[in-house]
Amino acid sequence: MAAVDLQQIGFTYPGATEATLSDLNLSVADGEAHALLGASGAGKTTLLNLLSGILHPTNGQLHFNGEDVSQLSGRARNVAQVFQFPVLYESLNVSENLAFPLRNSGFARQVIDERVTYICDELELGQLLEQKPRALSLFQKQLVAVGKALARPDVSLVLLDEPLTAVEPKIKWQLRQTLRRVQADLQVTMIYVTHDQTEALTFADRVSILAAGGILQTDTPEVVYQSPQHEFVGHFVGSPGMNFVAADALSVSTAQRIGFRPEWAQLSNAGQLSGTLQRVRIEGAQQGQPAGLMVLDTAHGEVVVRGQLPDVQDRLIGSQLQVQVLRGVAFTNEQQVGSHEFV
Amino acid sequence: MSSFRPQNNRAWLGVLPVVLIVAFSAVIPLMTVVNYSVQDILDFNTRFFVGLQWYEQTLNDPRFIEAFLRQVAFSLTILTIQIPLGIWVAKGIPQNSRMTPLILVVLAMPLLIPWNVVGTIWQIFARPDIGLLGVTINALGITYNYTSDPLHAWITLVMMDVWHWTSLVALLAFAGLTSIPQPFYQAAELDGANRWQMFRYVELPRLRGVLIIAVLLRLMDSFMIYTEPFVLTGGGPGNATTLLSQHLATMAVGQFDLGPAAAFSVIYFLFILLFCWLFYSSVVARNED
Repeated sequence: MAAVDLQQIGFTYPGATEATLSDLNLSVADGEAHALLGASGAGKTTLLNLLSGILHPTNGQLHFNGEDVSQLSGRARNVAQVFQFPVLYESLNVSENLAFPLRNSGFARQVIDERVTYICDELELGQLLEQKPRALSLFQKQLVAVGKALARPDVSLVLLDEPLTAVEPKIKWQLRQTLRRVQADLQVTMIYVTHDQTEALTFADRVSILAAGGILQTDTPEVVYQSPQHEFVGHFVGSPGMNFVAADALSVSTAQRIGFRPEWAQLSNAGQLSGTLQRVRIEGAQQGQPAGLMVLDTAHGEVVVRGQLPDVQDRLIGSQLQVQVLRGVAFTNEQQVGSHEFV
Repeated sequence: MSSFRPQNNRAWLGVLPVVLIVAFSAVIPLMTVVNYSVQDILDFNTRFFVGLQWYEQTLNDPRFIEAFLRQVAFSLTILTIQIPLGIWVAKGIPQNSRMTPLILVVLAMPLLIPWNVVGTIWQIFARPDIGLLGVTINALGITYNYTSDPLHAWITLVMMDVWHWTSLVALLAFAGLTSIPQPFYQAAELDGANRWQMFRYVELPRLRGVLIIAVLLRLMDSFMIYTEPFVLTGGGPGNATTLLSQHLATMAVGQFDLGPAAAFSVIYFLFILLFCWLFYSSVVARNED
């Protein structure tokens, strides 16, 4: 396993005028499950290829356990990768697939057998050992691909490139649980690249949010959600993301804008904001009452509030309501400058 | 359940054109040949039913057996050369280069040349007196004359077929190679696979489909080869390069032995069918385990 350290990494594709990544810093601890979350075009794939050794940084350095590996190949760095769709050797059966990277690393036969058995127990693949990949379901195949990535005991870093894309939604959570458990058991350093915030927030110890070629924030999922360092993070994480209103609207003079999550606000007779109810979306119930999202059109733009829905919701659409913001995060020039409690 | 299925036989009308085309292009001519093969035809109005006599005669004819063995040897030889060579050529073609289309066009050129022209090209090219190849080999001190030496005739015939058809295998294999997603190579590299393993475990399994097609096409085509050897050697020297179709043409056209030639044709057809079936079922059977 390795601690991964990216120091002022920059990357420009040959012939491109603008850098895809610039001045990127990131530290991932040994044995950490780390998620890289970003929208398409944020540079996720480029960063992934830099880590896996397909690309080499134009500027900066990449360290594994303090050793500069920037110019080494992925093989020399001892990186393993799980791809968006299962990548297996189709002519080999499951146990041969798992043993393949071990054989090539020159492990003794007994060590290989023990390791394959161990990985199979971890991933509960015991029944499938003699099967060829084509006999497996997509889920099982991806599980074997994960096993193959984890097979070498000396692997320094396991990269996961949106590994749940091909798996059907119903069993996504199952594979995610398995991944999380195996990561904890084996204490491997994992970097999970995804555009799906649910996957990132539920999988990782820490999450990095990537936008426009740089990392905006690296924190635990909790902190990323509660205290975004950048307006984009507040907007990108959460469904829906944060509401943003001008700071004056909430009588704050020390910042430009206030961001607040839908659940940090409620309908009230003494609210700071008022607007017309546009539409509602039921998400479930609270204390026997339907609850969900209410979208209001205010003087400061659209505001979404989460909570109990008014009794006769249909009749209220189009009517004037007041929103009380309970707490918010203050931003100036898109950067966080503090937080406010309004009650 | 079946009683609930709506009865609609109009769908058969949609199949009718195919049935008609196949009937006229394959079934009816084939049945005509089968009909001839059990008759002794003196002229078109004087025929005798002779049963399986022509089949017996053909299968016991030493010239048929020789031509058949030559044919098997020829097909196996060109398959063992063309399939690996085609894969090797395909692996050498750059996949995303501006040169790729040009390379593919140049590679496809032998396939566009009419077969009798291919024969003529090689007939002249290999001539020891004026042909570039023949003269060059002789100039190197090796006596080479395909018109008099059976072995030289064989080598020339095989070279011609390799030149003519390896492109087809290469193009098919290239199409197969381009359809392999990049992550398969990346994963193999991270797993420490060497070049041989990359070929054996990543590329070859994914080329299976196109290679089955390539082998079947080459097997059938080479078994039926006629024009090129006819132009190149005419089956000689002696009968050294007389393959099955050449022998058949001599019987049917040259000697007008319609009955025996028809029996020969049916046997010939069944052999091709048998070889393709043997090959295909052995490959598919391996697929199932």
